[in-house]
Amino acid sequence: MSHSTETRSARLAPWSASRGGVASLLRDLPILASGLALFYGLVILSRYWASPVNSQPEIHLSPRALPGYALYSVARITAAYILSLIVTLIYAYVAAHNSRAERFMIPLLDTLQSIPVLSFLPSVMVSMVALFPGRQLGIELGSIVLIFTGQVWNMAFSVYSSMKSVPTDLLEASQAYGLSWWQKLVQLELPYSAIGLVWNSMMSVAGGWFFLMACEMFVLGNHDLRLPGLGSYLQTAANAGDTGAILWGLAAMVAVIILMDQLIWRPAIAWSQKFKFEQVEATDVPRSPILDLLRRSRVIARAERAFLMPARERLTLHFAAVHDRERPDSPRSSPLKWPGRVIAGAALAGVAYAVWRMVFALATLSHSDLLSILQGAGATFLRVEFSLLLAGLWTIPVGVYIGTRPRLAAVAQPIAQVTASIPATALFPIVLLLLIRAGGGLGIASIVLLLLGTQWYVLFNVIAGASALPTDLREVCDAFGLTKIERWRKFILPGIFPYLITGFITASGGAWNASIVAEYVHFRGETFSTTGLGAVISHATDAGQISVLLGATAVMAALVVTLNRLVWRRLYFLASTRFKLEA
Amino acid sequence: MSHVTPLGMSISQGRWEHAAEILERLDPAAAAEAFITLPFEDQQGLFRKLPIPLAAALAGDLPYYQTYVLLHSRPQADVIAIVDAMNPDDRVQFFDQLPQETWQQLMDELAEGPEAASAEEAAKAIEAGAPVVAPPVHEEPIIEARAIEKSFQREGSGAIQVIAPTDLAIEPGVIVALLGASGSGKSTLLRMLAGLTPPSGGEVLWHKRPIRECRPNAAIVFQSFALFPWLTVLENVEAPLEAQAMKITDRHRRALRALSSVGLKGFESAYPKELSGGMKQRAGFARALAVEPEVLFMDEPFSALDVLTAESLRGELLELWLGKKIPTRSIFLVTHNIEEAVMLADRIIVLSRNPAKIRADFRVPLAHPREHNSPEFLLYVDYIYKLMTQPDRQPGLPSAAPAARMPYPPLPNIHSGTISGLLELLNDRGGKDDLYHIADDLQMGINNLLPLVESATMLSFARTDRGDLELTPTGKAFAEADISTRKRLFREASLANVPLLKHIYSVLTAKSDHRMPVEFFRDILQEHLSEAEAQQQIETALDWGRYANLFAYDSESERLSLHQAAPAEETESVTRA
Repeated sequence: MSHSTETRSARLAPWSASRGGVASLLRDLPILASGLALFYGLVILSRYWASPVNSQPEIHLSPRALPGYALYSVARITAAYILSLIVTLIYAYVAAHNSRAERFMIPLLDTLQSIPVLSFLPSVMVSMVALFPGRQLGIELGSIVLIFTGQVWNMAFSVYSSMKSVPTDLLEASQAYGLSWWQKLVQLELPYSAIGLVWNSMMSVAGGWFFLMACEMFVLGNHDLRLPGLGSYLQTAANAGDTGAILWGLAAMVAVIILMDQLIWRPAIAWSQKFKFEQVEATDVPRSPILDLLRRSRVIARAERAFLMPARERLTLHFAAVHDRERPDSPRSSPLKWPGRVIAGAALAGVAYAVWRMVFALATLSHSDLLSILQGAGATFLRVEFSLLLAGLWTIPVGVYIGTRPRLAAVAQPIAQVTASIPATALFPIVLLLLIRAGGGLGIASIVLLLLGTQWYVLFNVIAGASALPTDLREVCDAFGLTKIERWRKFILPGIFPYLITGFITASGGAWNASIVAEYVHFRGETFSTTGLGAVISHATDAGQISVLLGATAVMAALVVTLNRLVWRRLYFLASTRFKLEA
Repeated sequence: MSHVTPLGMSISQGRWEHAAEILERLDPAAAAEAFITLPFEDQQGLFRKLPIPLAAALAGDLPYYQTYVLLHSRPQADVIAIVDAMNPDDRVQFFDQLPQETWQQLMDELAEGPEAASAEEAAKAIEAGAPVVAPPVHEEPIIEARAIEKSFQREGSGAIQVIAPTDLAIEPGVIVALLGASGSGKSTLLRMLAGLTPPSGGEVLWHKRPIRECRPNAAIVFQSFALFPWLTVLENVEAPLEAQAMKITDRHRRALRALSSVGLKGFESAYPKELSGGMKQRAGFARALAVEPEVLFMDEPFSALDVLTAESLRGELLELWLGKKIPTRSIFLVTHNIEEAVMLADRIIVLSRNPAKIRADFRVPLAHPREHNSPEFLLYVDYIYKLMTQPDRQPGLPSAAPAARMPYPPLPNIHSGTISGLLELLNDRGGKDDLYHIADDLQMGINNLLPLVESATMLSFARTDRGDLELTPTGKAFAEADISTRKRLFREASLANVPLLKHIYSVLTAKSDHRMPVEFFRDILQEHLSEAEAQQQIETALDWGRYANLFAYDSESERLSLHQAAPAEETESVTRA
């Protein structure tokens, strides 16, 4: 109540509300300061991006250089995320509102979602550098596009499925009351998609770190395309065997991730609770002190009143007037009809051309190339499944142990989260350093590297599943005196099965991706490699064998998509029907 | 109704005049006898066509409540003429039997005299032919539906008709209630009238213009409130006004006025989830009233509320309406609650199912406020109960054959256990009770009770008789039996009376391995029903069939199989154990 009177008085006389002026100024100080910092960061970045490309990027190992590197990395992540967000909204809106477009956009999305993005890393980087010769911007854009392709699909899918599942009565209400497409988007569809979008954004950005680290360390043959950032810092530190710098780098990495979590994702989640589709208020609502700070801020409230609200008002009234003028018997399916047609036409032409060229390129593949691709596919397949098996073997007992003990889970959960938040690719150079010191080859090292990328998903899901095991069933097991083995077979394993499958699906996707950077590594000026599809891809890029690169990438994509369809989707269906614990 | 009389024949052919002639040729007692055996909708249709003297003669012989309702399905001028033409003794008896208030009401109408309604228009309405005759026409209708129908296209196998061609007109100044059991298509009818769903055939006119070409000034109140949970109450009410491109200050004023008219002042900045159900629906009303609609559509607006809240909201709505505090000229209410319809409506339309068509359309000339337990109120409630529990007439002659007929009468979506419960209750009541007593005791709306009654009668465990439900001898035996005997009785009853179960059973018996995927039967059903409906039929059939030990079902392989042991032995062994 006090909040609303405050804003009302502020609205009447913006500058005379002196009571509590100092306190509110202090409250707004961090917000003003962060605004200035943001501006400064942008200036630095723009100067850097326009600078000419440095062919031998030098990465300084002094901890003092770290804030700058962190800024560059965060800027890449942010740019990629904004790009993803824009594409997500357009893609999802068109797919949800145009049934003709929907028919090919959704299967396409489904396929793109399961293709291992890192297999495109070499080709994307090369083409982007060619596009902007002599400017740092080219490599930067390459990394941004790559992160974008890694994170956009699940966001788009989430928004699309939210838009398709808007409750009928709300749709009917907006139809009956003649809402314009804009008002419907702003007041119904976007709010309904908000929660899913925030969660998927969080996951996407976490995945984005994984790709960013790989991009920043990228070396193409004798072109050093490394980007100054946390990833290249960590790699250089590992190269130099500088333990102090490695620790500094890791600390900076963790700090950045925790800061982003606290400053962006927590507030975003707390804010998105407003859009929860519920009829009764929930008791346990996520909160964020940062969000409270923003909500109480008078600077922001004033800016909102001065710019946001009038803009919203004008847009709404404008589209309402347009909607009113339209003849009601000529309903337009979507406001993006013409641009949509042009884009769809261009996309179709582009795809047709690309397929045409690809067939030509693939026709030049020799038998030995084909053999090495198939061999590599087999090796990588075994390596991925073996690392999943290893992950399952240690995470299931540990996860169940933690998950069934709420107190332990409360302690272990945040620690595991921070550990897991470090992108596996950031740890690659360090692991490599240790393993090579210990004398193992890349054959073993690559499995460890894959494991690094996969185990956490499984662990989290097992913990979640174990803590959701119903107490009454546990008591039934006690009452009937089930032995330990029976208990695992009849209760625990079936109970956590849906969670386990979810974990494995995510982990499998991650492992295929990681294989590209794990099987072929430049380290201390040497090239380590082992048999595998990832190695074939990386090697082909280094050697400039375009047709092998294409063929191997296509095989990997096809393999992953087929596995998803044939194995994981069926298991998931089984998990969500037969093994679902219903309340 | 089993034998086809010349009277029934001419009615099913739509030859009302001929039917009237047949009646005229009979002597009065026989005419009344023949008339009363007709289905209600035919009684109403025919009564409208009868010449005044014959109508008056029949009016004297029918039960008083039926006379009263039938009278009010004719224009007011006719009502007066018929009452005047009645045999004086019958008239005195009719007046005597009427409850005090109803009598008073009728007296008032008679005193108004015939000039209140134009006889010419009434005659025109009668000539229109269809069994639907609008109440006295004073003004141009706001909405006019001409032969609107709705069918859903099915993949491969034609269309299913959910609403048969229907004529309907909504005049200003009345509250119209559309009554029907759930799944009867009443919400679809509302959506077609409001322009939300286009009809598959026919057209809807708003002020004589096709609804597609104009933006009808209508508002809808939803059963589920349909409020945007992320907008405050005020923003919710303002949303339709924003859509009309109304300026912010006007919008505020209009929304605040609407909110205070429904008693939500002070809740402007609350979010819907902070409100109780009643308050949410008030916000729903405020949103509808803020656009100042010409016609206010309400789709089961009180069904999601508890009894007391619903009661008080109904009262407030009536107060706004009767006090002319809202510019709305007509209200169209969809409901399955008979008492609610009688409480609010000036005109009641009763829908039948599969496909939906109008069974009855009559005025409720009772003065407001209406008392729940007053005799004239109960007169209408009782009448509608009888109307709705009387089975639908199969469409007789080829005149109106829809696309494809269901090979099986649809199973009501009721659990076998619930049927046992009803039969036990009925047995405790001495084997027979009034339907609305039962509904009252079970706290069930007609929505839930009707399918239950339907399933009991389908199995021949009970029968309906003019608004009463009565146990049959098998039903009584069932109610008093132990579990294994019950299963046997249920098995016999379903094999004898439920074609779908009989069919499943015979297919399983005929097959050498006595097994069949359930998909097979679902496919057959899906030729006539939507996917969801077919699924529901299958689920009910599974429940009944498993209870009756007709077959076993394995949900993993989705296969039906015959029980291994012969069922008679099996039940005996269970009894012995």
